Amino acid sequence: MVTIRNEIRRLRFEHGEMTQQELADKIELTRQTVNAIEQGKYSPSLEAAFRIAAVFGTPLESVFHYSED
Amino acid sequence: MPFREKSAWISLLSMSGIYGIYFGSVIHAGPQAGFHSGNLLGTIIALVVVQVVLTVAAAIAAPKEAKAPRDEREKLIELKATRVAYSGLATSVALACLFGAFNPPIVFNTNALLFILVTAEVMRSGCQIIQYRRSA
Repeated sequence: MVTIRNEIRRLRFEHGEMTQQELADKIELTRQTVNAIEQGKYSPSLEAAFRIAAVFGTPLESVFHYSED
Repeated sequence: MPFREKSAWISLLSMSGIYGIYFGSVIHAGPQAGFHSGNLLGTIIALVVVQVVLTVAAAIAAPKEAKAPRDEREKLIELKATRVAYSGLATSVALACLFGAFNPPIVFNTNALLFILVTAEVMRSGCQIIQYRRSA
């Protein structure tokens, strides 16, 4: 099974305890979508993934990890 | 509950409830009854009023969400739900066409097609709700 894990929750807290809503506003997604991405229930588009990485000023692979279980 | 999910619930419940009453009266009237054009007009008016009032109330409760355009996840949910509903619609219409070969009364055909349309819309809203719940 293919899973995509992410570090969004940790990164949010390392960036001034950014809320899901604040991140959602910056990347033009809804708070519910940010929550779904964070919980691994929704895989974002490549564009949205790059926007998330850009907000945290970090490479894409530092935010998302691909693994085959 | 997010605004889009509320909208789906409004659509699902209002269509099920109001058209449920209409189809109940059609079944009760029996196959020999005429086309309930008056009832149908009343049903459509009631549906529009209920949906507009409830959607406006939901938008007032969450104005920012209501104004925001759908994001990629919401668009995907809508597309998946539409695909499921379309499959049901296409299959049901094909079956209705086959049944039409047996020359049923026009009243039956008209109400059957209306029922298929309503069911497809209810399926669409239902699928949206399931997907919103799964990824909540």
